[in-house]
Amino acid sequence: MLWCYAKDGGYSLKLHHHLHTFDSPFPMKYLTPLLRSALAIALLSLLTPSISQAQMREWTSSDGRKLQAEFVGTAGAGATASVKLKLENGNIINYPIAKLSEDDRIFVKSSLPNDTAALAAEIDKLVLARMKEAYYGLRKDLAELPQNSTLTNAEKAKRKEEIEREMVMCVPNEKTNDSQFMRRVYLDIAGRIPTFDEASKFLGSTSRSKRAELIDELLETDAYAMRMFNYMSDLLRVRDGVAMEGNGLKAISYMEWMKDSLRADKPFDKLVTEMLTAEGTLWDNPASGYLVTDQGMRLCNLSNTFTVFLGTEITCAQCHDHPFEQVKQLDFYRMASFMGEYETRTRLDFNPRAEAQRMSGILERAGKLRPNTTFDIGLSIMLNSNRTNVNDTGNQTVELPHDYKYDNGEPHQQVRPGAYFGDTVNIEKHATPRVAFADWITSPTNPRFTVNLVNRMWKIAFGLGQIEPVDNIPGHLDGQAQNYALLQFLEQMMIDQKYSLKDFFRVIYNTETYQRKAESLSPTLTQIDNGAYHFPGPILRRMSAEQVWDSMVTLTTAHPERMQRRGAEAYKELMNMDYTTMTTAEQIEEFKMKHRTIGQVSDGEGGMMGSGGMGMMGRNNMVGRVGGQQMVRASELDVPMPANHFLRIFGQSDKILIENATTVGSTPQVMTLLNGSITNAALTSKDAYLIKEIAYGEGKKGDKIEKIFLSVLGRMPYPAEKRAAASGLRARNDRDIQRSDAEAEVAAIGDVIWALVNTREFLFVQ
Amino acid sequence: MIAHDLKKKLGKLDEQSRRQFVARTAKTALGVSVVPVLGASPKVLAAGGGKAEHCIFFYMNGGMTHMDTFDPKPGTETGGSTAGISTGVAGVQMAEFMPELAKRFSDIALVRSMTQKTGDHRGGSYWMHTSYQPRATIIHPTMGPWAAKILGKKHETLPDSVVIGGGGNHPGSGFFGPSLSPLPIGDPDRGVQDGEIPEMVSEKQFDRRYKLINTFDEVFQREFKTNEVAAYNQFYDETLKLMSSEDLETFKLTNEPGYQAKLEKYGDSRIGKGAMLAKRLVSSGIRFIEVTAGGWDMHNDLWNAIPERAGSLDMALAALIDDLKAEGLFEKTLIVLGTEFGRTPKINANGGRDHHPRVFSTMFAGGGISGGQAYGKSDNLGMAVEEDPVDPRDFNATIAHALGMDLNKVVYSSSGRPFLVAGHKSDRETGKVITEGKPIAQLFS
Repeated sequence: MLWCYAKDGGYSLKLHHHLHTFDSPFPMKYLTPLLRSALAIALLSLLTPSISQAQMREWTSSDGRKLQAEFVGTAGAGATASVKLKLENGNIINYPIAKLSEDDRIFVKSSLPNDTAALAAEIDKLVLARMKEAYYGLRKDLAELPQNSTLTNAEKAKRKEEIEREMVMCVPNEKTNDSQFMRRVYLDIAGRIPTFDEASKFLGSTSRSKRAELIDELLETDAYAMRMFNYMSDLLRVRDGVAMEGNGLKAISYMEWMKDSLRADKPFDKLVTEMLTAEGTLWDNPASGYLVTDQGMRLCNLSNTFTVFLGTEITCAQCHDHPFEQVKQLDFYRMASFMGEYETRTRLDFNPRAEAQRMSGILERAGKLRPNTTFDIGLSIMLNSNRTNVNDTGNQTVELPHDYKYDNGEPHQQVRPGAYFGDTVNIEKHATPRVAFADWITSPTNPRFTVNLVNRMWKIAFGLGQIEPVDNIPGHLDGQAQNYALLQFLEQMMIDQKYSLKDFFRVIYNTETYQRKAESLSPTLTQIDNGAYHFPGPILRRMSAEQVWDSMVTLTTAHPERMQRRGAEAYKELMNMDYTTMTTAEQIEEFKMKHRTIGQVSDGEGGMMGSGGMGMMGRNNMVGRVGGQQMVRASELDVPMPANHFLRIFGQSDKILIENATTVGSTPQVMTLLNGSITNAALTSKDAYLIKEIAYGEGKKGDKIEKIFLSVLGRMPYPAEKRAAASGLRARNDRDIQRSDAEAEVAAIGDVIWALVNTREFLFVQ
Repeated sequence: MIAHDLKKKLGKLDEQSRRQFVARTAKTALGVSVVPVLGASPKVLAAGGGKAEHCIFFYMNGGMTHMDTFDPKPGTETGGSTAGISTGVAGVQMAEFMPELAKRFSDIALVRSMTQKTGDHRGGSYWMHTSYQPRATIIHPTMGPWAAKILGKKHETLPDSVVIGGGGNHPGSGFFGPSLSPLPIGDPDRGVQDGEIPEMVSEKQFDRRYKLINTFDEVFQREFKTNEVAAYNQFYDETLKLMSSEDLETFKLTNEPGYQAKLEKYGDSRIGKGAMLAKRLVSSGIRFIEVTAGGWDMHNDLWNAIPERAGSLDMALAALIDDLKAEGLFEKTLIVLGTEFGRTPKINANGGRDHHPRVFSTMFAGGGISGGQAYGKSDNLGMAVEEDPVDPRDFNATIAHALGMDLNKVVYSSSGRPFLVAGHKSDRETGKVITEGKPIAQLFS
């Protein structure tokens, strides 16, 4: 049956590889090494006497039924695993662990495989099962289409086209080759393309488990923390200035804390709790940056918290009952009152204005103020930022709005904190209502916290969430999620992994589903809306702005992560100093200079400055400058960059709105790539790293083109490409300008690099 | 039964219209044909609309305080320290920070009864720009692309619309697709950044390089024919076209005759320069220019920020009006000022005002607008609309009317959903999809 369709649709090639996956569940020869190893592990667990086997034991199902049986072993992994039980009559049955009582689950837990390969194999199984189901559903629709009397012939033809297109997308794609896998996994985990050395190392490795090894290796790099910081910065609006109006605050502490937390793989529930419950100043407790971000906008902060951590949009309930979801306006205010007792500017023990006046006087007497001024405004802003401090005041500030119109409350009435879904909260049991709220949000029993997290992390790997849009997860998941069984599995896996993002990613990136080729068709909006994209592979994505930029940076250095922005310790020291000890103009000037330069990029070898002057350049120092651009990873530059910077042109978020980054194309992007200083100077001038180190570095002369291809696209050139590139190298005499052979060759190599970064292949993650 | 038939009929219409749409975008993208300039319908002209050939839309990002700009309440408990100044029209004052506009009030119409429903920046801004609430499944087009869609493209090589200083979240051309995308200009000083082949690269070298791109991209392009890849291919084609035209000169602000003297009038600020560049673009025939200015989200210390913020706006708009008049373009150019919401009359503990969508102010001038009037009213405290509410759809209907657009022109998205320039509803009697927003007729009389 499949073949008939395949011939009609002309997709036989694609189907051929996967045909049997559906028809027979376990033909060994079609299993990939990964699945085979999973099976081997499962078999192994049968042989390992981890629990006293061959002993009769009473088993209880979750609904209370009892059974005498011997424990033989387990099959599968994670939430969908089952136990093999030998009954008294000698029959062996498979029983899903999800249906066992809690005691029994604990009993078998140690026998369950929880290794990466086994979990990955389970995910693949669930993906394939759903895809198969969808495929047969569509095939049925197609068969029934001719009998449909409500459609005209034209409509039928159109519908047929749609169904056939969807069917093609219901067949798993081929496995990626090593180059494709390498480039993608580097971009997804490290946020950039591999360097020439990294690419050569991986492609040259003969290890059978080199993919898994690479995943492990990348998850432990600084590059991973930088890449995830970019994601979190977009999601949580982490930005320089922190608060919307700036207020002279430095974000460096908050940013460093975020990167360190990601690098150390702080459990995500802990990360969120720290942010929601933080007390103190930004420099002493950087997690407070989350609440300072929405200074003066308590209700917006609540909406944002729901969007980013619960995937739930409740903004409308701020003003009226939600029209579609079960969220009443009262629910919103009860939620908000959890967060109604903290303030963000509570440090009142010193008067910044008086202090600024005193210091301005000193500066004035020393002739260090601008002419005709008596007050240093910059200094005043620096000192004023010292008042920012998150603290619980014990005063409930949230009340129902003045125009509250429903029967269940009065305008200006204060309401008791309460959750409108999930567990009931007893705030008396917690130190503050905030702690109670954080506890409720991050609980594994919160029906949305874990789902939101796995859905978002899945999207990082696959380009599309299991539920779209990711910030609006419907209350009734079953039927809405494209693969409910898989989503449940992922949720349980995240809980079992104790919210370790690294462990979660490790499994996801080891799945066959991830390691398949990118889908060559775009899923339609309707398809995404209906959850009808079943992940035959990741979708083809344009790189994020940071990925494009960081890949450009990678092309200018052997060590893309060496330049880092640090300064939390210095900031802490500066902000906690006793200002009254500053009595001379020199001290005050030094304070101002330090304050201004904190958080600069450093070269990782102790030096703050490159060839630039000392300290007077503000944050725009010379470190990492190539061709007039600071070629340093995006996470180590200003966040966000100014509107005309490469990063913003390619869609970096303004960090004002949640997930405001975009990957939509534009004419200015193309102009930047064709005419901008990155492609015309930083990558292709005679001093450019790629030209100097790669083309003329170690190795044989004949390999230049291959080296360039490997550096830029992570693959070897095809013969036709090699010919085209080589013909440029041979044509030494460019008639517009007289140059030496060497210059002409540099120009020709520059042409190849320039053209490669201008391909769509470069810009997209396949 | 009737409803069912109607739906079926509509469904067929959708399909036909959709195909026309696809055919038309394909043609313009390949440069085969230019959509003819259709012009305003006689009906629109009779109602005083259609006089504007251009529109300069100032968008105040963050929620401009109405209380301290166009609708001051001096001496009331909510007015703060903002004083009012006379406009020359009895009973209408502007805030003290806008003296130049107050002097030119006979050219200006204020709308003081704007109202909308959402207090979040993104939602509010989206509604003001598109007449629709944000949805997860579609991006609605903004007014510039709408004008191009309904009235036809105005210029062969220049973009039909430009956004100066807009952020990454601008909805742009939405589902109309990339061929009608406004050209973004990040910084008015720099014009079209990287618009020319750099000095060290000869044209010949550029051509040689450009050919290599296609060779190197062949295998990838054969395999991946996604919409996103196709869009980038189109952007490469269009960029090459723009680079080879002479139109890029227009975007160089310093080429403006008498630049320095003008800068003093417009103000050496982003909004001043944005306004001057917008004027320049209008002179070269671009239809719709949006100038975005931020810094209006004044939750803290409002009175520290307002003199500078409102002052630079005042200078820029006043200079623009004078400049357009001097060039004889004022009557042909609609100037509009919008924002996502106003700010709370109640002053908060940080000396600022918070988000207030219930009532706020916008401004119109030129392009057939009768100046010297304030339409609609807020109550004494600036809390709510007292007379003649105007919502974002009416606001956009007014712009569309001034430009001569047919408000009832239905455009279908690729999934067959109908959309109109000023929002839509279905007519109770005929069941037809009609405009929801209505132009403010009083502004045209």
